[in-house]
Amino acid sequence: MARVFIRGFGELCLTAGVVLLLFIAYLLWGTAWQASSAQHAFANQLNREWAHPGSSSNPFDAKPDALHLVTGQPFAFIKIPAFGKNWRFTIVQGTTLAQLNVSPGHVPGTQLPGQIGNFAVAGHRVTAGNPFWSEPSLTNGDLVYIETEANTYTYRVTGKKWVLPSNLSVLDPVPGHPHAQPSQRLITLITCDPAWTGTHRVIVTGVLVRAQPRVQTVSQRAPAAAP
Amino acid sequence: MYGWIWQRLPGKLGGKATWVVLLGIAMIALLWFLVFPWATIHLPIDQVGVGG
Repeated sequence: MARVFIRGFGELCLTAGVVLLLFIAYLLWGTAWQASSAQHAFANQLNREWAHPGSSSNPFDAKPDALHLVTGQPFAFIKIPAFGKNWRFTIVQGTTLAQLNVSPGHVPGTQLPGQIGNFAVAGHRVTAGNPFWSEPSLTNGDLVYIETEANTYTYRVTGKKWVLPSNLSVLDPVPGHPHAQPSQRLITLITCDPAWTGTHRVIVTGVLVRAQPRVQTVSQRAPAAAP
Repeated sequence: MYGWIWQRLPGKLGGKATWVVLLGIAMIALLWFLVFPWATIHLPIDQVGVGG
C-alpha cells in the first residue's frame, strides 16, 4: 500500500516538473508568438484605419490628433531606433497584464502623445516578445518616435532612473511634483528591473523635440533620421 | 497513477499507445492555450505597472 502512494507521489512530482518546463517554454516562446501575432493584427488594423498622411517641413506643425482610445485597442506605434532598425510595437490603451501581454500600453490617466504633461507607456521587459528588454540601456539623446494617425512625435531621452513600484509620482504631469502646472511635453517609458521580477521599475523620460504630420504609411516607412 | 490510467485505456498495445499520444497532445494543448495564458495574467511575473 505504502508502495502505491510513494509511486503515485513520484509520478506527481515528475508530472509537475514536466509541466513547469513546459510553462517556461511557454513564457519564452509561447508569449512571444502570441504577442507577435497580435502585433501583426494591430499593425494591419492601424494601416487599414489610418488615412493617408501629409507632409511638412516645419518642426512643430502637428495636425490636431483625434485619438480614439478603446481599452485594449491600438492607437499608435512606438519606434526606438536604439532598440534596432526594425524595432516597432503598437501602443494599446491600458496597462493590465491582459493588454501588456500583447502590446506596450498607454497608462490611463496620463497625457496623450504630443500633449503638455506626461505621456506614459509601460511594456514588458521579458515575455510577450520582450518589447522593452533594452530600456535600461537607453541613454540621453536617444530618440523615441510615436506615430499616431495624424502625426509623428519625436521625443529625445533626457533621463533614466530606477524607482520602487509604489512610486506613482513618475506618472505626474510634472514627474515628482503632483500639483505643479506642466509646461513641458514629456514621455515616460516604464518597464521592470531586474528582468522577470516585480521589485523595481526602470523609468526613462524624454521631452518632445518635434511634432509633424506623419509622412509615410506605416507599412513602408524607412527608419526615421535624427533631427 | 499512470499505471492506473494505462490499465483503463481500451485496446491492445497499439490501441493503448495511440490513446497515450492523443491524451498527451490534449493535455499539452489544454495547458498551452488555456492554463498558461491564464497563469501569465495572474502570476506576478515581470510586473511593469506603478502604484499597483
